[in-house]
Amino acid sequence: MSRRLIVEPRGLAPWWLKLVIPIGSVLAAMVLGAVFLAITGNDWVEVYQKMADAAFGSGRGFAETLVSATPLILTGVCAAIAFKMLVWNIGGEGQLIFGAIVAAGVGIWLSESTPAFIAITAVVAAGALGGAFWASLSAVPRVYLGTNEIITTLMLNFIALNLMQYLVLGSSSPWRDPEATQFPQGRPIIENARIPEFFNRLDWGLFIAIAVAIVAWFVISKTRSGFEYRIVGDSFDTARYAGIKVPKKVLGTFLASGAAAGLAGSILVAGILGKMDPRSLDLGLGFTGIIVAALARLNPIAIIPVAILMGALNNAGPSLQSIGVPAATVQILQGAILIFAVAGEFLILNRIRRPDPTAGEAKVEAEAQAA
Amino acid sequence: MADPAKTSNPPAVELRKIDKSFYGVLANADVDFSLARSEVHALLGENGAGKSTLCSVIAGLYRPDSGEMLMDGEVVDLKTPKDALAAGIGMVYQHFRLVSNLTVAENLALGNPEVGLRLSQSQLEAEARELGERYDFPVDPTARIWQLSVGQQQRVEILKLLYRDVRILILDEPTAVLTPQEGQALFRAMRTLADEGRSLIFVSHKLHEVKQVSDRVTVLREGRVVGGVDTADAEPRDLARMMVGKDLELPTRAPNESIGEPVLVVKDLVVEDDRGLDAVDGLSITVNAGEVVGIAGVSGNGQRELAQGIVGLMKVTGGSVELSGDDITGKSVLQTIKRGIAYVPQSRLGMGLAPGLDTEDNLALKQYREPPYSRGPMLMQNAFNTRGAELIKEFDVRGVRPGLPIRLLSGGNLQKALIAREVTQDHCVLIARSPTRGLDVGATAVVREQILAERDRGIGVLLISEDLDELLALSDRMLVIYEGKIVGEMPASEATAERLGLLMSGHSEEQTA
Repeated sequence: MSRRLIVEPRGLAPWWLKLVIPIGSVLAAMVLGAVFLAITGNDWVEVYQKMADAAFGSGRGFAETLVSATPLILTGVCAAIAFKMLVWNIGGEGQLIFGAIVAAGVGIWLSESTPAFIAITAVVAAGALGGAFWASLSAVPRVYLGTNEIITTLMLNFIALNLMQYLVLGSSSPWRDPEATQFPQGRPIIENARIPEFFNRLDWGLFIAIAVAIVAWFVISKTRSGFEYRIVGDSFDTARYAGIKVPKKVLGTFLASGAAAGLAGSILVAGILGKMDPRSLDLGLGFTGIIVAALARLNPIAIIPVAILMGALNNAGPSLQSIGVPAATVQILQGAILIFAVAGEFLILNRIRRPDPTAGEAKVEAEAQAA
Repeated sequence: MADPAKTSNPPAVELRKIDKSFYGVLANADVDFSLARSEVHALLGENGAGKSTLCSVIAGLYRPDSGEMLMDGEVVDLKTPKDALAAGIGMVYQHFRLVSNLTVAENLALGNPEVGLRLSQSQLEAEARELGERYDFPVDPTARIWQLSVGQQQRVEILKLLYRDVRILILDEPTAVLTPQEGQALFRAMRTLADEGRSLIFVSHKLHEVKQVSDRVTVLREGRVVGGVDTADAEPRDLARMMVGKDLELPTRAPNESIGEPVLVVKDLVVEDDRGLDAVDGLSITVNAGEVVGIAGVSGNGQRELAQGIVGLMKVTGGSVELSGDDITGKSVLQTIKRGIAYVPQSRLGMGLAPGLDTEDNLALKQYREPPYSRGPMLMQNAFNTRGAELIKEFDVRGVRPGLPIRLLSGGNLQKALIAREVTQDHCVLIARSPTRGLDVGATAVVREQILAERDRGIGVLLISEDLDELLALSDRMLVIYEGKIVGEMPASEATAERLGLLMSGHSEEQTA
């Protein structure tokens, strides 16, 4: 037959490839972005310089990058731990928003004199519980009735978004600030519930997010419960055979996933926002988390640098407007990175080689000896 | 070698230097093959020898990496099974490709370009009936596929191809799902088809079948052709040696005198299948310590539900299961594992092993809850590695690399790993379903040795299999399951393939006696 290239699955990808391919995807996306910028008559070198400068060029810029990265780490963990178990929770968006609603509610309701440590813990934990609750609305029917969680989580995103907007923009609920006369705003949470900043606008929420990613990795790879999680994620039937209660495990994972997104909402409310601000919470952070998880190949530790990269891009967007380039350029780059990463995944899983007429015999003999 | 009368015409199908590899492993290497008109040509070889791959290449399902295929002397390039069908080549796969909710006649019409938009049910049915009668293959054309037995479904597959008037018919291990009697009927039909001028490729790893039905034999081993002979000239012993590459004796049972107390007592068990029908229908079995009880039966007669009902994977709706005197009816899987049931399921990668995890993880798949694998909530990775290495060495599991998903090991190594895990946990009963299915002779020998060793250790073994050779070689006592009931029981010494075959197809002992 004709000489064609042969594509075949690889057994075990070498470790460096798992590093080279994501980095290569980012570079390839940047090349594509440069071509796009050049075609549209921009100086791509200047644009990239500007972006690098905005994201990493100064302490302040880097702090903003980390501020943007914080919720993405958490929504990335949300997507990764669910996807790894083949639970398609694409409701990080809604779980983040509902977490923010509950967190803000607690932060408003608490007495001004509540000690800071208790107040912060209560608000942050409330967000996680809120996210878990919102996830449970999809998780329970999925586990016990077999409903499709892709549809339910997606729809609940819109319900959460509209609920948040109604609470602030459409009603005089306790979440709305009675003193905002010009334009409706969220009511500020008590001062003691605010997470302290330690460098410019950067607050300790970053470390909560990093800790969550590390704990997720630790639980999955080092504990008994994580071993069960890996078995269930690999095969439901095998897990049942090994005596694992699959529904319980799926439910637990789904709720933990929702809690991570809810935590992102509460860290935003108790951190940089200080209130439930509908515009600042409606940035598609849950969806960007899915991109982060995919780029990190669902590895919780890898989520941290990937979220920082995405945060850098988000942070660099506005600075481009000063040189007349649309901020949406960064979205083009984000999209291109995802596409290249997904394509790169194929190269991690498969190997492409030329048919080698002489290799055949040697291989069969090698196999025969091995068997 | 070849019959001169036949070589005067170009062969119906000829393959030249076919190579085909998967996962970097050559399934076919440098294969030359030729199929004459009116010939039944057997492809003989062990599991994994490349027979199915070769057939799939001829049937257009796989495209070879290199080499060429000729039909009647002309080079052809079959890109899809549709091309192959158009060229007159049809294949009956091991896993049938029928639509189970449609009738026999509808399945015949399906995908046939000659059937127009408007279907005439009655005409189709008449044609199907006429076709069935011509080849002595009676099937009810109005029956729906799911109502038919496996043997009948296979006839539908063959009729489907004859309805398309294929000249070349490939049958991939057709007898694996048949009772001996059904097999004989198939062989008669195969002869009729060959006498009509059609050519048949018959895949098997059973020598006596090849000897009975074929004109020529091509033997494959490790993807290559190791010999081609006229069946009449072939000595079974020579064929076996060609197939295996060496003389190999499989372990067989030595009578066991030390049969102990009952360890597994199943009484009037009822288990529903996925459709809610009683797949196990009031069945009783006793397995004693130090005894292998074989359960023979055609696939789909309640074997799966019996095994899964005992271990707690399926709900028991009636009857009881006792393990060493304790009632374990309806207990969870975790409970049955802890109380000492080891279970080798039929599907290795679908159930017995986690395909994406590595071998060390899979070896701890049931015991991870206890030391040394875990301490409190923490996993002890060192124990996974050291204990895993011990078992891998002891059970000779090959091809293992840390982090390598176990699904990339060969079938024999998968089964060795699975058995290693099951027989090294605390247990008093071993349930094994078709444990040597799809394994080569070497791995089969290891698995059989392990099962016999279990028995000698005083374990009660329940061996549920469709492979009569395996059952006859290992069982101390033989039971036959048919439609969820035990329809016959006999000591191994009185069991013969013929007697079992009749019971398996639903004839009672009184009728057969």
